[in-house]
Order: sequence, then C-alpha cells, then structure tokens
Amino acid sequence: MTRKSWHLSRRSFLYGSGVTLALPFLECMAANVDAPTPPRRFCAVYFPYGIVQRQPGSKAAEWNWFPRGSGRDYSFNRSLVPLESLRSELTVLGGLSHPRGRGMGGHDTADTWLTGAELKEGHLENSVSMDQAAAMHLGGRTRYRSLVLSSDGGIGEPTRSSTLSFGRNGQPVPAENRPRAVFDRLFGVDPRSVAAQRQSLDRSRSMLDLVLDHSKSVRSSLGRHDRVKLDEYLESVRQIERRVDRSQQWLEVPKPEVKATGLALDADDTTPAELIRTMYDLMYLAFQTDSTRVATYQIGNMNGATSIAGKFPQLLGLADNMHRMAHGARKNDAGAEPLGQWDLFLTQQFAYFLGRLRDTREGDGSLLDRTIVLYGSSNSQTHVNLNYPLVVAGGRNLGLGHGAFREYAEDVPLSNLFVTVLNRLGVPVEGFADSTGELPGLLA
Amino acid sequence: MCHFLWNRMAYPAVLLLALHPASGSSVERSVTSILKRHCVACHGSEIQNASVRLDNLPTDFSRDRRAAETWHDVRDVLNRGEMPPPGATTLPPGERNVLVDWISEQLRKSDPPAAGRDGSTVMRRLNRAEYQNTMRDLLGLDVDYVKNLPPDEVSRDGFTNNGSALRMSALQLEHYLNAARSGLARAIVEGPAPPVFVHRAEATVIDKLRNVHWSNRLGRTGTFVARVPQFPDEGEFILRVKARAEIPAGAPYPRMHVAVGYRADTQTPSRTLAEVDVRGAEVREFEFRGRIEEFPLQSRTQSKYPGLLVWIRNVYTDGLPPPAGQKVSFEENGKTEQKMVWPEDPDFPAIVVESIEFRAPAYPSWPPPHHARLIPAAPEGRRAERRAAADSVRRLMRRAYRRPVGSADTQPVLRFFDKVRPAVDSFEEAMRETLAMVLVSPDFLYLVERTGNGDRPVSDHELASRLSYFLWSTMPDERLADLADRGRLSDKRILRQETARMLADPRSWAFVEQFSDQWLDLPGVHRIAVNPNYHPDFDLSLKEDMRKETQHFFATLLREDMSAMNFLRSDFSVLNERMARHYGIEGPRGGEFQRVSLAGSGRPGGLLTHASILLANSTGEDSHPVERGVWIRSALLGNPPSPPPPAVPNLESGGEDLALLPIRRQLELHQDSEACARCHRGIDPWGVALEEYDALGLRRETVLRRLGNREEVHAVDASAVLPDGREVDGAAALAAYLLESRESEFARAIVSKLFSYALGRSLVSRDGEQVDRLVARFRESGYRLGELCTIIVASDAFRRR
Repeated sequence: MTRKSWHLSRRSFLYGSGVTLALPFLECMAANVDAPTPPRRFCAVYFPYGIVQRQPGSKAAEWNWFPRGSGRDYSFNRSLVPLESLRSELTVLGGLSHPRGRGMGGHDTADTWLTGAELKEGHLENSVSMDQAAAMHLGGRTRYRSLVLSSDGGIGEPTRSSTLSFGRNGQPVPAENRPRAVFDRLFGVDPRSVAAQRQSLDRSRSMLDLVLDHSKSVRSSLGRHDRVKLDEYLESVRQIERRVDRSQQWLEVPKPEVKATGLALDADDTTPAELIRTMYDLMYLAFQTDSTRVATYQIGNMNGATSIAGKFPQLLGLADNMHRMAHGARKNDAGAEPLGQWDLFLTQQFAYFLGRLRDTREGDGSLLDRTIVLYGSSNSQTHVNLNYPLVVAGGRNLGLGHGAFREYAEDVPLSNLFVTVLNRLGVPVEGFADSTGELPGLLA
Repeated sequence: MCHFLWNRMAYPAVLLLALHPASGSSVERSVTSILKRHCVACHGSEIQNASVRLDNLPTDFSRDRRAAETWHDVRDVLNRGEMPPPGATTLPPGERNVLVDWISEQLRKSDPPAAGRDGSTVMRRLNRAEYQNTMRDLLGLDVDYVKNLPPDEVSRDGFTNNGSALRMSALQLEHYLNAARSGLARAIVEGPAPPVFVHRAEATVIDKLRNVHWSNRLGRTGTFVARVPQFPDEGEFILRVKARAEIPAGAPYPRMHVAVGYRADTQTPSRTLAEVDVRGAEVREFEFRGRIEEFPLQSRTQSKYPGLLVWIRNVYTDGLPPPAGQKVSFEENGKTEQKMVWPEDPDFPAIVVESIEFRAPAYPSWPPPHHARLIPAAPEGRRAERRAAADSVRRLMRRAYRRPVGSADTQPVLRFFDKVRPAVDSFEEAMRETLAMVLVSPDFLYLVERTGNGDRPVSDHELASRLSYFLWSTMPDERLADLADRGRLSDKRILRQETARMLADPRSWAFVEQFSDQWLDLPGVHRIAVNPNYHPDFDLSLKEDMRKETQHFFATLLREDMSAMNFLRSDFSVLNERMARHYGIEGPRGGEFQRVSLAGSGRPGGLLTHASILLANSTGEDSHPVERGVWIRSALLGNPPSPPPPAVPNLESGGEDLALLPIRRQLELHQDSEACARCHRGIDPWGVALEEYDALGLRRETVLRRLGNREEVHAVDASAVLPDGREVDGAAALAAYLLESRESEFARAIVSKLFSYALGRSLVSRDGEQVDRLVARFRESGYRLGELCTIIVASDAFRRR
C-alpha cells in the first residue's frame, strides 16, 4: 500500500539543506552578524484516555472538558478554568481526529497522535511525526534537534508507544524520562578543555567510522531478518556520527548557564506533580536558551498493563488510576468528578507552562508568541478515537489568531491542523499524512 | 465513516473461502454459512455495496495482507454493530461472535511482527539485565552500567528478551558507548598504587541534630554514624562492622541496614550498601564491599560538613511507630541544659555496634586483577605496545563476542589503536579507547548467529551463548567457553550436565528473577498505588518483599526440582519475617526468605494467593476481579482475552451509586450489554473466585465500599460460575478445579512461556507440534520444573536454527 507521508516542496528542501554556520539565535544577536531568523518553535504535550464528556444539562456537565458556547462566545467549564487568563493566547479545538485512527483499537492511538498513520495487526509501522518533520527544518540551528520526553521513557511497543515522536521512516525516537539526565544533556558542563573534548569527539568519529565499515562487511553473512536488525544498528551509528559532527560544530559555543536551583531533578514516578512540572520547566528552559526548538512530552501512555504513569492520579489523592477513572466517567455522572479533577490538575500544569512562556519577553513579543503549543489526547472518552480534546496555543507572531472555541465537522482530518502549523513554523508543506488542506479558523 | 473503511479494497482471487466450504474445519463451515446468509447478498458477486465483496475474499491472512486488512475492517463494523445495516435481517449475537472470533483468531495467527514471523531466531540485542551482567563479568567490575539506558521494549506476550521487539536507536547506542568508556576508565588503571585510607571508630558520632538518637545500641530507636575524614574519589572500599545482637528469647532477629553518603547542610543524600540479619549474642564481623563512586559524594570544595558518612540502623520493626524522644533538663556548670532521651525497650531486638573499620581503596593487588585481566603492564616501545594491544584485543574480543575471533575481527580495532595511540599520552589511555570499540560492536551488543543455508544445528559457541543467556542472563563462563572451543558442548550428555550445573549455580538467580518477573508480571506491584485511606498501616517497602516471595517460591521449585503444579496449589511458601507477619503466619525470624508451611493458615498456597499477584491485580484499594481474571487467563491458562474492541458502546448503569454495590452486582451490570458480556463472561468469574483476598493479599470476611462519605459493608462472595459451567467458591476451590480440570492447559502455558523466553522470540503456529512434544515429556517427568529447563535445552528449536 503506498502511503503518502508529508511532502516537501523543492524550494523548502533546498532551504533546509543550505546550511550556514549554526549558531544559536541569541549568540547571533550578540555577535551582531547577519540578521538572524528569529526562532520558530513547536511543542506537543499528550495525555492518555480522554476527558469528561457528559450530557449537557446533566449535573456532571460542569466537568465537561469542552467549553460551552462556540466561536469567540464561549465559556470554560471547571476543568479548563486555569486557562482563563490565557484565553487570548489559545484556541480550543473540537471535532477533530485522525480518520485512520478511528478504526484502530481504543488504546492504540497515542502512537499516531502526531503521525496520522494507521496501525493494525500485521501492519505496525508508523510514519514520521509532525514534530520530527518540523525538527528536520528547525533543528539545524540549535544544539539539539529536538527534545523528546515521556513519563515512561523509551519507546514502549507499537500501539502502546511511550514516545510521541517518530523519525523520517516512522522509527520511534526514544523518550527521556529522567529530568536529571535531560538537564545534564541540555546544560551540563563538561569539565574537560575544549581541545580535549575535540580530541575525544574526533576519536568517537573515527571509531564509529571503523565500526560502520566493519559491520557492513558482517551484513552479508546474516539472514534476511537479521539484516533488518543490523540495518537498524547501522542507522543508529550514522545518527551518532551526525550528532558527533554537530557537537563539534557547537564545541566553541559554551552551553547556556542554567542553575538547577528550584528544579526537582530527582522527581520520578512516585512524585507525579513534581515530575510533570519539571518536564514542563525543562522544555521551557530548552526554549528560552534556544537549545532546541522542538519538544514533545507524553504525560502517560495508554499501556494500562505496563505504564508507570497510570497511578499518578492516585498518588495525588484522586480516586483511581487514569484508565479506570476514564472508564468511570463514561459509565455515569458520578464518575465525572474524579476524572474532572484529574483533567483540572493537568490543565493547571499546562497553564503554568503557557504562563511561563507568555511572561518571558523575546524581541517585541513573548516566548509564547513564537512557539506553537499543541496540547491534548487521541481519545475523547476512553476507547473513543473521535473528537480529540485539543488546545492550540501561542504562535501569534507566526500568524496564528486565538480567542475562540472552534468546532469542526467529524470528517475533517486532524492532519489539516498539522499542515497549518507546519507552514506557520516555516516548514512549507502541501500535505501531511492524510490531510486534505489547511485547517480554517486558526489564522489571525 | 463506515463508507470510508470499506472503500479502499481490492481482491486478487485466490483461496476462496465461500466457494470451498467443504474443505474447511467446522468453524470455517459455519463462517461460510453465516456469510452466505447475512452478507453476500449485498457484498457478493452480483452486488458489491461499498465496493466490498466477501464471497471471494482471500482467507490466507499471512500472505495476503490486503485481504487481511479487509477482514479486519469487517470485524470492526461487526463489533460496532454497524453491519448488517438497519432493515436487513438481524445477525444473532451468537453468529456474530462466531464471525468475530474466527477473524480475530486468523489475524492473531498471522500477526507476529515482521522479523521472525516464520519462527526463526532473530539476532537480538542484550536487554538491560543481560547487558549489566555481561559488562560486570567482562570487566570484572560490579558497577551500575545501565542507569542511563532507556527501558527495554516489551513484546506482546510480556517478555523483555524478545529479539523482534528489542530495538536499537542512536540514544541507546550513545549510552552503550558512554558506559563502555566509563567502565574501562575504571577497569584500566594508571600510575603507582594510590594511598590507602583507613578509618576506625568505636563510638558513634554525636551530631548537633537533637531529634536523632545517636547510639551504639540500635533498638526501637538509635542510629550509629561514622564520619570518614579521608577517602579517595573512586575505587573499591571495604567496610567491616563488628556487632552483636541482643534478642529476647524467640523474638525476631534485628536487621542491620548500612548506608553510605554525606551531609549536605540539611539534606543527607545516601545509598544503601547492605541489609543483613544480626543473629547472635556473640560479636561478629560483617564485611561489606562497594565502589565509592557509586555512592553520593560531596564535592571536594564543599566544606561545611566534610567527610563521608556511614549510617547503621536497625530496620527490624514490629509495626509500632518508634517512640519520640523526650526533653529532660539537667544541670551543668550551674546552668540548666536540656537534652533528649529515648525510652529503653528491652523486649525489642537490638543491635550493638562494637566498632567499624572503613578501608579505601581496597585493591587486593596493584594493578588490580580487573586491570591485569584486560591489559598487561605497560610494554616498552611501540612494537611491544602493538603486540600487547593485539593480544589484549583478541582476548577481550573472544570473550565479548562469545566465539573464536580471527584477524578480520581484530584488524579494524587495531587500526583504531594505531590511530589513537599517537594522540594520547599513555598505552593505558589508548587501550581504554580501543577496547571501547569492541564494546559497541554489533557482535557484542547482539546475540549474533551467522546464517547458513536453511536449517542447521547451532555451533557450539552459539549454543553456549543461548544456554548462558537463558539460565544466567549473562555471557558464558570459562568452562562453557572451553567446552565450546573443544566442540564438546553439543554432546547431549554434556549439555545435560552443564544445564544441571548452571541451574545449581547462584547465577541462575538472574533467570529466576527475569523469568518470573516477565511471566507473572511481578513488577506490577509497583504500578499500583496503595491507598493509605484504605490501608493506613501498609509499608510501601513490603511491595518488594511480595515480589521476592514469588521469586523465592519459583527458585525453590526450580532448584529442588519440584512439581510445577505447586504453582497452582502448594502446602508451603517462601517467606521472610515481614511477609510471614503480613500473612499472620509464625516461623521466620529474619529478613532472609525460607520455606514455611502453610498448614493451618487457611491459605491454599500457590500463585493464586501470593500477595504479589493479588496486589498487582488490584486497584490499590480493593480487589479487581477483572484484572485478576485477565491475569489467570494470561499467565496460568495461556489464553489471554482479546483487548477491548474499538468504540465499545457506552455503559449507563442508571444508578449513581455503582461504587457502593457488591462486586457481583457491578459485574452483572457490566454484563447486561451483550457487547461487554461476550468477553467478560470468560474473564470475570476467574477473578471473583479470589474475592476472599483483598488488595494486599489478606483474607477477609467482609468488603468495604465507599462513595464520598457513604460506606457499605458486604459479606465476601467468592462463588463463581466458570466458563465451562463449573461452580467454584473461593480460592481453594478454584485451585482444586485448576489442578483437576485445567492441568494440561496450565502445563502447556508454562511450557510455552518458558520456551519463548529460552528462545528469545514469540512462538508461532509451526512451533505447535514441538510444544506438544515438550508438554508430553514435561508430564512424564512429573511436571518437575528443573527438568523442564533440561527438556527445553534438549529440544530441536533450542539446538538448531
């Protein structure tokens, strides 16, 4: 089956590969070289199992995640109230979903939230995610192409992915789940001299070259399936080589000085509030220091059987684990409040992140004005892959206009939103996955 | 939406199900008949609504993926009740189930991920545990090599050693490179022997913190602290503690907990070094070893509270909280001062610390053995260095690649040495870098078996690796490698002897831990948050003891070669003092696990009533019969239920107080809807039979339900009608039933799980016959667990590829 993924126009491809010396934005400003392109950034944050959706008019409707009213004339229900002060910075989207996801298993769609692919028994290969498509363009100017985070870490398994990000050929990009490791990577200082570091990178480069050469010669002695495995290994080696090259380019540029004070870097799955907040803090710091321009964070995956995040609500003193609360909210009105409280908690964390971005100046606007943030899930209610709860925030200086609750017909593919967002990020695309055009109603 | 799903189909005509009804099984004949009666009129040769034609849709799911996808769509519309459409003859639920189950079964059979679909063993990456153990054995240094590695991928059947599921990524490989470099930086030393620091202390440090009970006697309260003023930045250390116990007659042993760290102003970062029972009244010397850099150390410039600290505590507890200290006033130099005193409790088991000695670094020789094993003493001259490098590379490579190596293997690495050597100051530094290259090669990171054409016996070296990763989760030891070198391992008699030797070796604990965790999902205890409002006295650290109970139980059956039917019912378990107290059973006095009779405890024994299983499949407040049912079907019966279909209909109970209802009533409501009931009838009863056990695995007479401020108490009701119509009441009856009626299913389940683990791949349909033969031999052996490992090692699939 030929499946189109995203299409680059020829112009944009040339643009992307015409590399100039990669200096971070702020450094360029200081060095007063050619007028730099101000950063365009993208961030996506996902939560599993969906939200409260009860009959309007019922007692439980106050916990409905989607607002009342529509267009600019809408009001938040209880669980989105923390976004009130950010109203002019965001749009709530209703009705959207990935058409190919609709026939997939009820818990299978976290993998495809940013890809729009179809995963089925016998066909579990994903395609590129929109954040990575963006990173291929935006990533050339920063120390790190993208920052991929999740509470569970690693990649999980197909249909129960614990990462939101998938590379060019749909291979999962492993997520980091330990705040300290992320902090060290972003801001940790290598005590060695620049010369010593360069030497060490040079050695890594030649070691990897030789490993690559030799491993290729091994390939011929392997069976068909083993070659697939070896190719994955070889691709990983090539990627590290590119990282090494990149590190060499960045060697002279000191890492931003960031103090860890106030960051809960040892937060883990036993302290969910600290963990989620710290992940947001790290994405914020990565953006603020222009260490990367693309970040994703999966707050929990939909693997009830193995996710370490399922118990988060209980650890916060709420009624049950994520999955069972979501089922409870589907069952009856009484089940709405427990899940509503969890929805509210997640919104508070999200509002904290948006607030930090908004309150940080950058050029003639805020950090948020040049950052497009997508927040939401791929279930509306548990098992229902329709009408994803979604918020798009920021990016006002990139052409987005906000302040409304936009509802779309059920047949509009979510990928249309990706097309609109990618274009605003300066990644000119005609289509993405199964898109049919741009998404109306989001531009200023 | 329905239209969307149907509209992209095409149908090469082969293997036409509907046209050849006589050729199939009885299930296939009914499927054909149902399709004919309900579907073909609109999706047949005459009319193809939505361009879907079913009468000639191929049924070879594994070869024709497009047809399989169409069948998949058919299943989904059936599940959602969208077909047949309103107005058409209704499809009775029974017939719909036949269709849905047949499609699901075909999909499942054709499903295994691309690589290894044909049941061949795939080159597989070492998982975290295997990598950790292999690096430890290879470098001779027991440090944490995996702390930065991302978690392993889990296969659909729950294994983390599945070659197809395990992936490689740049992030992963980067961590391997870092781990190799930092491991070698420690293993290969340079320069003269470092000075040795020794610190001895007899009395505890008494710090200013007044609410800490500083003491050499560790009873209900009391902490012994030693401050080590001088210590190296890295290297092995030895801590010797002389201590004795004061134990009232018959009371449990006190348990000594030792931690190492430092004081950073108000915080005291530390890590546990050891925990051990102190059993006797006579003074004994305990010796503990560690690597200093594995513990939290203060930065050298921080000087407010300099020194490395050793804490010794008594972590035995009888469940009562330790008493608070009391302020007392006393006169000193004419002034009234205050101090804290703690009440004595002579009935509480106590430890008395007599003295400690801290020695670091503690190398038995210089250079240390791990260094000498990797490289020789620095050779003189470039040519001698080159020879030494070639020799060291070959020696490490042979062990790391787990096979003989030739110059084709060593050449690229030596070229690298030639490149690195002029750029660095010392031979040692060049060798660290050179050997790191070996440790990021695919031959090390993967279990590689070179292909021959078609089916062949694995080589002796491949067999040695298969064996050691199966039973030890690490590389072959010298003896296995030597037997392989001499071509002796494939000899059936020797293979059998070696299997026995390996099972008896303490390293087989790795197998016990890995396999029992993956088969039974024991880490599940950590996914559950125990609600303190329901279980206020629960100590979270007991979760790990629960997991250990099941692991030790497994180990006992394995090492004493007992019947695996003990998993279903057993008159003993393996407990330590804490677990025994949790269950209310007398016997064990210390932290070590020992065999304990369950006679008179009211527990039927076996996995069904292990607290680990009962907690991992609970809500953290109460039992969860559905989860417990799913667990029994997956782990014990080898028949996991299908995951819930997409878009199951909404369940409206009507009543607001569902949470207050007895579990039976809740489940009945669940089963009111046919869409739910058809699966849940086969799941729930298994779990209901365990209702006598609460979330923590304790027996109970009543069940508490809460909703807001309302509470209701129900009598326990553990009677259930199993899918075959058999009624059971409670765990003992369920265990009896399983032994009597499901023995062969259980035997097949455990054989399949163990076989899959041993091969590092999922089983496919063509493994069926071999599994049948293994099950038969397992039965003949009296279901002995140790013997099953031997049977699997002797199987064709294990010895051939």
